[in-house]
Amino acid sequence: MTPGSTTEALLELESVSRVYGEQVKVYALREVSLRIDRADHMAIVGPSGSGKSTMLGLLGVLDLPTEGGVRIGGEDITGLDDAARSRIRGDTIGFVFQQFHLIPHLTALGNVSTALLYRGLSQGERRDRAFAALETVGLAPRAEHRPVQMSGGEQQRVAIARAIVTEPSIVLADEPTGALDSTNAAMVMDVFSGLGSTERAVVLVTHDLGIAATANRVVHMRDGEIVADERQKPSPFKGAT
Amino acid sequence: MTHWRELVAVAWNGLSARKIRTLLIMLGPVVGVAAMVGAVGLTESAKGDLKQRLAELGTNLITAEAGGTFGQQNPTLPTNAVARVMAVETVERASAVAEVGGVLTIPHVGAEDYYAAFPTPVLAADEKLPQVLEVPMVNGRWLRVNDDENRTRAVVIGAGLAEEYGVIQGEFRTIRLNRFDYGVIGVLDRVALDPSLDNAVFITQWAAKHDFRTEGKPTRLYVRAAEGQTEATADALPIAINLGGPEAVSTQIPSDALEASAQADKTLQQTALFAGLLALAVGGLGIANVMSISVLQRSTEIGIRRALGHTRSTIGFQFLLEALFVGVLGGLVGAALGVAIVHLVSALAGWIVVVDYGRMPLWIGLAVAVSVIAGLYPSLKAARLEPLETLRLG
Repeated sequence: MTPGSTTEALLELESVSRVYGEQVKVYALREVSLRIDRADHMAIVGPSGSGKSTMLGLLGVLDLPTEGGVRIGGEDITGLDDAARSRIRGDTIGFVFQQFHLIPHLTALGNVSTALLYRGLSQGERRDRAFAALETVGLAPRAEHRPVQMSGGEQQRVAIARAIVTEPSIVLADEPTGALDSTNAAMVMDVFSGLGSTERAVVLVTHDLGIAATANRVVHMRDGEIVADERQKPSPFKGAT
Repeated sequence: MTHWRELVAVAWNGLSARKIRTLLIMLGPVVGVAAMVGAVGLTESAKGDLKQRLAELGTNLITAEAGGTFGQQNPTLPTNAVARVMAVETVERASAVAEVGGVLTIPHVGAEDYYAAFPTPVLAADEKLPQVLEVPMVNGRWLRVNDDENRTRAVVIGAGLAEEYGVIQGEFRTIRLNRFDYGVIGVLDRVALDPSLDNAVFITQWAAKHDFRTEGKPTRLYVRAAEGQTEATADALPIAINLGGPEAVSTQIPSDALEASAQADKTLQQTALFAGLLALAVGGLGIANVMSISVLQRSTEIGIRRALGHTRSTIGFQFLLEALFVGVLGGLVGAALGVAIVHLVSALAGWIVVVDYGRMPLWIGLAVAVSVIAGLYPSLKAARLEPLETLRLG
């Protein structure tokens, strides 16, 4: 199998622009095109103000472009209503945030199973799947703990479990180690490298070039444009070439 | 929306995770409903004993008295007044009493001076009086026709007088009326509709005529009218008694006064109800206020949920359900509290508890409606939050 070339892209930005302001137009992104394929392990890097966050919002279907199209699984989502986009977001994207963003009053298990709500799953099924996801990140013993009872690294691993429990095709991480010390950061990156598969893409948005170096594809951004898209190494994921 | 069970669980978790905050915003509906239930319950219970007595006594008793025809000292009714009254179709039962003047009643030796100063009313009564009044005997029996025929010197005394005399149940007792000794054969229970009878001595017609030289003409009539015909009967009685004569007859319905006093104080009730509604409205403002702040505090949670694929409407319904639960719980707790207050105060004040459970759904429904309306704005606000703005990306 040759991922990326013959099969359909997981997500595609087609000359996308994102403009803020009415009278004075500020281009956060200017005619950006990007294609995310299966088995991609991509890092999006660039200095502050380069348009990384805007890119993240668009890739995560949290925002809509001012111009251009966003295709997910071949379907342009820019014309869809909020409910339909929310559903696509929930099914396709798994988010990991810099600040972990766990819901404080829920346990690790509760946080992970929140991603499975409103999908017609029974409480038992939600529990079982959430527990399995926690096992994947090595936190099964912490299932009943609340976020305040866990270290930053553990919280981020719970967040990763939450991101993958829906089996999304794209895991989108925003500076996932930005709030962690080096030991915890290394552990979290370990978990990330174990996440990928031939069917899934992992996208890290970061300004940490050390983290970017773990990716097989690095997209460089500057002033709202993609200035370089390097496919340096083969995909680290098993089975991908 | 097909995910109600999940939504209910999520909303419930949201409330139970912030117990103090939830309890605080529940206070509005609790106080409002408790005030309304308490207001109605307390004002009704305050008159509960009167209401119950009124139901027992009935409202169809009429009294008729001879009005003072000008110049006449002791106005009386015609001798056959009872027969005349019975001719009225709506009259069911009637009984007459005749006041016997100038009788000194002495219960024991040495009491002459006291009872000369405070004379006891003596009434010549017929055998039907207790049935018309619907008052039982405390002990002994009432006067009978053969007491009259056999010229028995027998009296019945009112319960108030029996207490004054210190009559013991089953005791054989004589009292002296002027120079004659009379045996007390019974004690009549208290007459709520005419308390003047409680301290009276009842004698037979024969005794009134023979021992005290009176004509025995009735001075007062007690009449029971057919159900719902009390007013009309009261109007008809003077004509029936007078038969067109010049003497004035006045009638009264003694239960009217009791009925008026048994009416709950409507002004007080409405004032308290208004205060309850006000508390509920202010409570609603509190819910709107606290929930609005809560939506801001929980904006990150909302952003996370949106990022996980929850739609705007599920977020909105999640918060609206929280408001609904606050209303339902607050309403139920408030109703229970109100009932408890009514029971407590009634127990302390010795009232008969009157709680209108039929109106509970109304009060609770009101609390739910206020809470949901108060929750509308915060819920809309929550639904409209942009996840991108709350998640601080990049």
